[in-house]
Amino acid sequence: MNALNRLLSRPWLWSFAAALAVWIATVAVTAGASSGGLTDAALTFAAFSVFVGIGQMFVITLGPGNVDLSVPANMTLAGTVALKLMDTQDSMILPGILVTLLVGLCIGLANYALIKALRIPPIIATLSTSFIIQSAAIWTNRGLRIKPPPVLADFATSSTFFVPNMALLALLVSVLAWVLLNHTIFGRWIAAIGQSMPAARMAGVPVDGTRLATYVLCAILAAVNGFLLSCFSGGAALNMGNEYLLMSIAVVVIGGSAVAGGDSNVPGIWGASLLMFLIVSMLNTYQFEAGYRLIMTGLIIIAVILVASGRQARPR
Amino acid sequence: MTTRKLLLATAALASVACAAHADTSGKKIALSNNYAGNSWRQAMLQSWDKVTKQAVADGVVAAADAFTTAENQATEQAAQIQNMILQGYDAIVVNAASPTALNGAIKEACDAGIVVVSFDGIVDEPCAWRVAVDFKGMGKSEIEYLKGALPDGGNLLEIRGLAGVFVDDAISAGINEGVAENPQFKNVGAVHGDWAQDVAQKAVAGILPSLPEIAAVVTQGGDGYGAAQAFAAAGRPTPIIIMGNRQDELKWWKEQKDANGYKTMSVSIAPGVSTLAFWVAQQILDGKEVPKDLTVPFLRIDQDTLEANLANTPEGGVANVEYSQEDAIKVIEGTK
Repeated sequence: MNALNRLLSRPWLWSFAAALAVWIATVAVTAGASSGGLTDAALTFAAFSVFVGIGQMFVITLGPGNVDLSVPANMTLAGTVALKLMDTQDSMILPGILVTLLVGLCIGLANYALIKALRIPPIIATLSTSFIIQSAAIWTNRGLRIKPPPVLADFATSSTFFVPNMALLALLVSVLAWVLLNHTIFGRWIAAIGQSMPAARMAGVPVDGTRLATYVLCAILAAVNGFLLSCFSGGAALNMGNEYLLMSIAVVVIGGSAVAGGDSNVPGIWGASLLMFLIVSMLNTYQFEAGYRLIMTGLIIIAVILVASGRQARPR
Repeated sequence: MTTRKLLLATAALASVACAAHADTSGKKIALSNNYAGNSWRQAMLQSWDKVTKQAVADGVVAAADAFTTAENQATEQAAQIQNMILQGYDAIVVNAASPTALNGAIKEACDAGIVVVSFDGIVDEPCAWRVAVDFKGMGKSEIEYLKGALPDGGNLLEIRGLAGVFVDDAISAGINEGVAENPQFKNVGAVHGDWAQDVAQKAVAGILPSLPEIAAVVTQGGDGYGAAQAFAAAGRPTPIIIMGNRQDELKWWKEQKDANGYKTMSVSIAPGVSTLAFWVAQQILDGKEVPKDLTVPFLRIDQDTLEANLANTPEGGVANVEYSQEDAIKVIEGTK
């Protein structure tokens, strides 16, 4: 009984439960015939939300007001620059990956420089850098789509042991993030800062260094996501990051992390990412009009958050 | 004697110069554009730049400056138009963020004696001209094509654009009207692809497992390649996918055509429509009688014109046509 209670008190459980329910409702339409294809697609596309979701989760954990709005522009710039550099050549893959990481590093540093040096609130700071980054992406390649190198395109779209490669990569990153968050001093520092920055400072936590590292981590994950997404979908496009701004924040919240910061969990990101993809697939499958589809999506998200937070409040 | 000859010669030269230079040589035209964040809009701006630079160099107009708002917001664009009024432009060519929300600013411009020509994203303020696209006809033309390509009909998957934008409703209405008139076709599913390859790919991948066999995919442009990727990833046979003139779509079509004789067609609006609007504005400034509502032809690519169009389209760009002064005159004459 105690074990069951402990399980039910896990905030991430509800996003998985909702994702499973939606999955069942969707495959029911074809009496189960679509289960393989749908699972495959859900794992693949959830992976992209997981990368940005984890980055955003670290930032949100830093406490109220911390959010990175430069994620979409960052993805666009990293994808554009890396694919242009690789120019479909397999031999250029390593430089392509390095330049992606470099783009992420620079954007993360720039974001935190604005926040710290100019004392601009994170929302405004990252929004302004996103304008600069988006303009840089337009200027780099004027929206032209360059195809990824064939080896990368194959890797991004194929599976290993029936699991999509993208999902495997995302799983690897998730495990690393979980270890970082729960089993390193860095993870403890982030949580401490999120719960109370003055208290963390008094306790000797290197607040600035931790916040800087967190913004850089988020920017690098967004850049990697832009790189992978453009390899997966056959090229970078100027508007490719658009839906990942709200997505990155939504999966954190639905996954059961505290919006006010200080308390977060990695598994919930997966449940929420799968749920976000499956909801749209389910409503498309049942042929809902676009208006109803958005209303339903909103209602389902609210329901999941309510159930999750209600369960979480009592055991504390 | 010599003085008179010289005077005569000067007069002759002056009259020649006047004939070559239209009455608009001192006029300034501005482009008010609401969005630049995709390849179609980038091509639109480049076409504007190329054609108007030449027009300025030839002395047809004094200036043709392009301005794009950062946030794709109607309020921002209204403020931009008000600035253009203050800067003393003679004509404003506008691709509007909203068909209604700019009406106040447009009316102010008209009242200040400025010619306003809207295109692509048109405005419904009566004092402005509209260079509109028959989006409904474009949607219907897809079904017309499929009628010939698939005499037995079949199941259709519809990829729509961005929900809530009138262009999406218009193209979809045309498609569904065509389907209603041709009962051999059945629309078995619709998803929103936001005119973006990656969004379309994601949406199609999600609905595809639950769909029966699909004979054709009807689209709105910018989504055909993503759809093809999703069908390939799901291991399903590739249906006829209507393309939208993007270079990656045309290139994919060409590869399939060479490999297995794949047949389809591609239809969209040429981004160079901005240059048509430019010439229409110039014609109005020139004192020509121009009807308030003009229709642009859409750019269609078929099996036999694929290679030529692919060769003319920049790598990763959009198939394009730039319009000349004569084209504009032809469109104006054709509407009268």
